[in-house]
Amino acid sequence: MTTPQLTRHRFLRSAACGFGGLALSGLMNETARAASPLAVRAPHFTPRAKRMIFIFLAGAPSQGDLFAPKPHISKRHGMAIDSPVGDDGQLRVGVAQFLPMAPIAPIRPRGQSGMMISDLLPSLANVADELCMLRAVVADNKAHAPAALQFLTGHIAEARPSMGAWFSYGLGTENKNLPGFITIHPPADGRVHGAGFLPAIHQGTPLRVPRKEGELAITDLRDPDATPDVQRRRLDYLQNINQRLLNRVQGDSQMEGIIESFELAFRMQTETPELVDLSSASKTTQELYGIDGSATDVNGRACLMARRLSEAGVRFVQVTIGGWDHHVDIRNSLPRSCAGADKPVAGLIRDLKQRGLLEDTLVMVSGEFGRTYWSQDLSGTSPIEKHGREHQQESFCTLLAGGGVKPGYVHGETDDFGYRPIQGRVHLHDLHATVLHLMGINHEQLTYPHLGRDYRLTDVYGRVEHEFLV
Amino acid sequence: MRESKRSMKNENSIFRPLMTLGRFLTVLVTLCLPGPIVFADDTPAKNVSDEAFFQTTVLPILQQHCYECHSHGAKKAKGGLVLDSRSGWAKGGETGPAIVPGKPNKSLLISAIRYEDYEMPPTGRLPEELIRKIERWIADGAHDPRATENVQHNGVIDIEAGRRHWAFQPPRSVTPPEVRDTEWPRHDVDRYILGQLEEAGLRPVADANRYTWLRRVSFDLTGLPPTVAEISEFETDQSPQAREKVVDRLLASRAFGERWARHWLDLVGYADQLGTSNNVFAEHAWRYRDYVIDALNNDKPFDRFIREQIAGDLLTHSTTEQRASSLVATGFLVLGDIEIVEADKEKLLVDIVDQQLNKVGKAFLGLTLECARCHDHKFDPVPQRDYYAMAGFFHGTSTVYKTSRGVWSDIHVAELPETDDQKNERNRLATTHAEKLKRWQQERKQAQDRTAELNNQLKQDGLSQEERDKLTKERDETSGRIGPLNNRITHGEFFAPAVPRTYAIQDADNPGDMKITIRGNPRALGDQVPRGFLRVASDKQPQIPKGRSGRRELADWIASSDNPLSARVAVNRIWQKLFGEGLVRSVDYFGLPGDRPSHPQLLDHLAIQFTRGGWSRKHLIRSLVLSRTYGLDSAHDDRAHAVDPDNRLLWRMNRFRLDAEALRDAMIFVAGQLVPSVGGPAMPLEFPENVGGLSPTNVNPPNFRLTKWRPEQEFQRTVYLPVIRSGAQPGPATLRNVFDFAQPSQFTGQRSITAVPTQALFLMNSSVVKKHAAALAEQMMQEDDETQRLKLLWLTLLNRPLTETEQHETTAFLTQAGENAWVELCHALLASNEFLMRL
Repeated sequence: MTTPQLTRHRFLRSAACGFGGLALSGLMNETARAASPLAVRAPHFTPRAKRMIFIFLAGAPSQGDLFAPKPHISKRHGMAIDSPVGDDGQLRVGVAQFLPMAPIAPIRPRGQSGMMISDLLPSLANVADELCMLRAVVADNKAHAPAALQFLTGHIAEARPSMGAWFSYGLGTENKNLPGFITIHPPADGRVHGAGFLPAIHQGTPLRVPRKEGELAITDLRDPDATPDVQRRRLDYLQNINQRLLNRVQGDSQMEGIIESFELAFRMQTETPELVDLSSASKTTQELYGIDGSATDVNGRACLMARRLSEAGVRFVQVTIGGWDHHVDIRNSLPRSCAGADKPVAGLIRDLKQRGLLEDTLVMVSGEFGRTYWSQDLSGTSPIEKHGREHQQESFCTLLAGGGVKPGYVHGETDDFGYRPIQGRVHLHDLHATVLHLMGINHEQLTYPHLGRDYRLTDVYGRVEHEFLV
Repeated sequence: MRESKRSMKNENSIFRPLMTLGRFLTVLVTLCLPGPIVFADDTPAKNVSDEAFFQTTVLPILQQHCYECHSHGAKKAKGGLVLDSRSGWAKGGETGPAIVPGKPNKSLLISAIRYEDYEMPPTGRLPEELIRKIERWIADGAHDPRATENVQHNGVIDIEAGRRHWAFQPPRSVTPPEVRDTEWPRHDVDRYILGQLEEAGLRPVADANRYTWLRRVSFDLTGLPPTVAEISEFETDQSPQAREKVVDRLLASRAFGERWARHWLDLVGYADQLGTSNNVFAEHAWRYRDYVIDALNNDKPFDRFIREQIAGDLLTHSTTEQRASSLVATGFLVLGDIEIVEADKEKLLVDIVDQQLNKVGKAFLGLTLECARCHDHKFDPVPQRDYYAMAGFFHGTSTVYKTSRGVWSDIHVAELPETDDQKNERNRLATTHAEKLKRWQQERKQAQDRTAELNNQLKQDGLSQEERDKLTKERDETSGRIGPLNNRITHGEFFAPAVPRTYAIQDADNPGDMKITIRGNPRALGDQVPRGFLRVASDKQPQIPKGRSGRRELADWIASSDNPLSARVAVNRIWQKLFGEGLVRSVDYFGLPGDRPSHPQLLDHLAIQFTRGGWSRKHLIRSLVLSRTYGLDSAHDDRAHAVDPDNRLLWRMNRFRLDAEALRDAMIFVAGQLVPSVGGPAMPLEFPENVGGLSPTNVNPPNFRLTKWRPEQEFQRTVYLPVIRSGAQPGPATLRNVFDFAQPSQFTGQRSITAVPTQALFLMNSSVVKKHAAALAEQMMQEDDETQRLKLLWLTLLNRPLTETEQHETTAFLTQAGENAWVELCHALLASNEFLMRL
């Protein structure tokens, strides 16, 4: 501990009976920790996973091109066929006819398990035996924003607490210098990592990979103008007058909270840069994640940061890798997106495995929904080679790994059109219930009262799916 | 910080709430539970100190430690015993009555919590002091005001039983209680407060000093601190009317409406963006925001305010301005979190109806009507039929229409009537604008012609390389002008001066009753339900003229003094903004498991005064802030704290951190940089770079991306800045992202107040705060003498005189802090609790 911190301790130790005083006295005991909303809390039962990393492929990757080929579709590539949509169905935007479109690259069986993975994802194919693939996941809305909201908060509108916020609320954070939920490169819609009606301390803290000199991983993490000395002197002066006011009013939980938040912020200033400074990582590790200045560089750094933060005790880390909304010319655009994500994601799984962390770390990789097996032509005039694919919430693929899911396992199947689930259907509510279950939480018991009733991540739905769990 | 709202239901003790015991908790019940619905009656308390002791001490213990297994909210009441009503413990469980009033030693409850026979609660023995409190309660006669009634018989809600809930009974007028200390009260409000304090054996703390009071009332009424001049004027004004003068000045300032409008917008889900997805700008939304500001500043009677927002399009009017303002008011029903990109239009329509009913229910009635969309309400006497009776008013209302853009819908836009002056001014602008457009079109034509000409010349054979280069250069320059001109012309055509328009609703073509949608599915329809009012809150049902939606009748019912909820909900919201907590703490929810009023008679008194006095918000606010209660210090008192730690009885003023708007506005204000505004468009859409997708053939509607700002926006009050629903608040409004701004997808009667490290990082390191600190320091430098300067800084920022200790310490700090010392000092003080909080 440095002298300046001791200076602040002097002020805080004199706090009447505040949490601030206890937390900083260096004598932090269980009682004091329990007073913090981020204190570690025991789960409902023994968890399979202690932490979770979610790789959000925003925009929705095409499962028909990457994971689940359909002979019925491939055989009829480019031929107009009847729609799989029933009587009630509405045509999707820009789809004038149903042209089945074969995968744009070969999909082959991989590893011992024979899990089908595209040539576009060679690194991921190499870790197939670690993966558990759900092939009949179902969402409720086919527009990006509501679907992403549902994936991350359980509800297609409003601003309910996000998955990470529920984890932070339910389980706390294991590292008192870091928040319980960190989201790397979050989508613009802040609700997907918001705390909703939970205490705001549980909201996701956005973090980014610095791309140029002086850029910060967390907004305002550093004062670029003031030296640490200057900042410290200002802080000490500030905490001193805060303390005097606190003494005058003889205790105030809000004031104590603010005093403490300055201390956590100050600790984050030193803790976070070390975690996000990847120059200390070995050459081999950097290579594993594709940190080499190429197309994989930024995602590789994000995934490596996720591993470090997770290892350091952050309960829920999300990494968003966007660019999967391939409405047009998927033949050209999907391979580029795959090239940027394949190595970093596979590297993360391999790294977790090597470090023995995969066992109790749950990794999930998914878009907010999937894409159609038939083509989409927004222009109405291009040849099928230039077509893309439309959104599909009726079924899509989600990958899981580690943390109590069966490795090398495929769950669920859809019809010949890759449209409706015919077995192993997992609705998002069920996925949420199952993920909570793996973390040792009964999804019906993790609740928060709001506007006269108890709310849950799964609202009034959700069923734990045991079939693909170890 | 409202930490006490944690779940109490988890088996695991670590999931137990971290609450202070005295905190009054809402009863927590699971959503889908079997068993009857219970309801707490508002039997007048026989003795207020018993009442206070029960509410502040006994009930929280029962709720926290017993309800999990022994309430109607428990999955199964263990041993048949429920402790959530007087009859529950009187009847007792399988082993007989749990409590014998006056006889703790004969009460099974006591032997159980003493671990003498049963061991309750099974998770661990209660602390001795809590056991003693329960014993004292029983020894004193076990006062328990919680009568219960089933509001459900054989699965059918009993409306009559439901009417006994306090909030559904008409407000009752009573004489203010007699108080022993007749000197203390200044107004009736004070008599109610002191009455309950005296009954609990407590005294209010001392009055706040004049500096604290002035800062408090200035922030509460206008969201801004007092100026140095205002402080000195108040310091020297020793007349008995000094406070009244201050309050009248504040209420008459434009800043009052700017402050209080934002409170209302928190209930609207207001944003300058349509729907929840895609960046679709709501270019007319600002008219509604200005309407709310004007309504407050003109003290528009609140009943009229209700009527206009629900049925402004159907009201009669005497002036053009009144007609325009009533139309704009209906923006209340459309400027919320509604999805406008939804392929399933039937679903879209029932979802919009639900959203509107939800909003009306919470904002005006304090009820969660949306719970009864798929089934009878689980706690409140609101059958599913009543939901559809109320929903029918909005079912007969048209809010959106399908556009030609794929799955998109759009909100109805109504043209506003103009006065002659407005029309002339618009025509003048339109002429200038048309000339400008014509000029650009001509320029474009010239550029196109010249480009074609140059292209032709370039096709000629026999050009020298030099000639070719020269022509190519000119061709590129000329054709390069076409693109930007295209943008300007498209933008200019789109935003040409036009008849003023506003988002508005209208009656549908054939308004009729609505059918029940089974589990909310618009294709699975049940019975048709005649439109009508919530039966539990109304004896009467409306006569709806044929061909009408009935919104007019709905508005009249809500805006009536006969409605037991509207006035109470309204005055409670105002009370909460001034005192930090509502008399009913669940400000958006007056239902059965909601909070009960701490001062039921005061709440009724205020509601009655409010409606009798013409629903004047200014009048109500004036009377509240001039009360002695409002003027109390926020100081601690050991004795009062021991009895009422949560300050339910208001023995002192509550302290709270300023909200995002007050914080940002105050930082600009103290640096002398606030730029006044008279309203108008929030979005700087006049800059073509901020707008995209204007072509009508675009598959998506026009969109915004805010990259350029009007220079003055950095210094205008926050209420005038654009509000974004689906993302972070942009540009000058970033502070909102950090300090608990009301998320526009949520309904926020009371904002949360949190302390998170991102706020501290913002205050320590952000360029925003540093800029304010520099501007403030520069402003201070106008004073040459350092001591005088320090005094000025304290008055400007903390609105009170500098103390000697502070002067001493600060001088030492300044000496150490180097050349930037004053900026450093201002920076530290802007981040200090005393500046951030309203005491």
